[in-house]
Amino acid sequence: MDDRATFERLALVHMDAAFNLAFALLRVRADAEDAVQNSYLRAYRAFHQLQGESIKPWLLTIVRNVCYRHLQERRRGGNVISLDESLGGRSGLAAIEAELAIAQPSPEAAAIHASEHAILSEAIGALPPAFREVIILREIEEFSYREVADIIGAPVGTVMSRLSRARSELRSLMMKRMNRDDKNAM
Amino acid sequence: MQCDRVQELLGAYRDGELSADERRAVLAHLDQCKACSALMATDDRIGQALKARGRTTAPPALAQRIRAELDRHDNRQLTTTATNRFMSGDSPFRVRHFAQRAAVLLAVSLLSAITTWQVLETRATNSHLERDIVSAHIRTLLQDTPVQIASSDQHTVQPWFAGRLDFAPQVRDLATAGFPLVGGRLDYVADRRVGTLVYKRRLHLINVFMWPEPSMADSTANATLRNGFNLLSWNRNGVAYRAVSDLNLDEMLRLSRELW
Repeated sequence: MDDRATFERLALVHMDAAFNLAFALLRVRADAEDAVQNSYLRAYRAFHQLQGESIKPWLLTIVRNVCYRHLQERRRGGNVISLDESLGGRSGLAAIEAELAIAQPSPEAAAIHASEHAILSEAIGALPPAFREVIILREIEEFSYREVADIIGAPVGTVMSRLSRARSELRSLMMKRMNRDDKNAM
Repeated sequence: MQCDRVQELLGAYRDGELSADERRAVLAHLDQCKACSALMATDDRIGQALKARGRTTAPPALAQRIRAELDRHDNRQLTTTATNRFMSGDSPFRVRHFAQRAAVLLAVSLLSAITTWQVLETRATNSHLERDIVSAHIRTLLQDTPVQIASSDQHTVQPWFAGRLDFAPQVRDLATAGFPLVGGRLDYVADRRVGTLVYKRRLHLINVFMWPEPSMADSTANATLRNGFNLLSWNRNGVAYRAVSDLNLDEMLRLSRELW
């Protein structure tokens, strides 16, 4: 029972990080919730294996694996794409607005124009999962390249090149979307 | 350093993941290349926007769900350990073996005892029932009239039962088959109130007792002989039927088929 209390104290503070990663990968809230719940159970069962390491990257590794298994099952399940996912994926203002409504508010958030958020969400959704995860892990969770490499189970060099490609994709997507929006505004 | 090489390293530069030499080289290039510094500025802006956007937060209920899941896991764990300890833990093999055999033996004896008891009980119940039915039949023979409602019309007899019984018995006049309906009455058999139809065959009187028995499956007539009377029992549509008479068995069976 002592383990249980320790686990909850150490692991539950990272629930938002876990959920954010799961949602970035799965793009469906209900699926992300299930994945996080499942990940915590797995983590709790394997908790004794964690020795002296930091819990957050370890936990997010489990979350990522659970999510990838889920994505695989989805692919095996055929071309069944839920409405949420198709909206969240490429374009769909409703999904973006929904996401905006639940995004964590911060002082800076108010300063930045809402449309930029929407464009950003759309651009991230358009990235392949392998790019999405490195962006989240680096930009939001601020892991080092070494830690990201451990989480995604790839060499540091791969992390660097994926991040580089993900950022240039984001750049061009942002440019494209912003131009489109400017045209619409005129 | 060339622009394309700088652009490759730009992210790592921003993330502070370059060696000192590489960092100096990139910095020197950025100082004089407008295109690359513009890219860098865009990346900075995207980075800031991402941070400002923050995480998509989990619903508060998720923590509860996780705790409940861990509770379930803890409980399962507790049960398994307890069972394991009981089954294998400290008891030496011989003792465990003996205990298992004893348990099996006990279970078998118990089962056997229950079955025997059930068989005897069923027989006793059937026997009581048969005695009740035959007694009721004999009483009707001793009385002036065997019926409370005398009518050969099923549409008179059936409504008469309504309100007197907790089920609606099927009433049929079988005069065309040679079993004219005398009427109906209430009786008390096997600790319950039952509906009774009385039929005639020549000078023989036939009592048909009916009561609801919803748990019984439909069954065809089963004949027994008691005190010289033929007794038929069958179930249909959740109603138990018992027909009793001194009439010969063949004609009794014909009546039961007519009533089925």
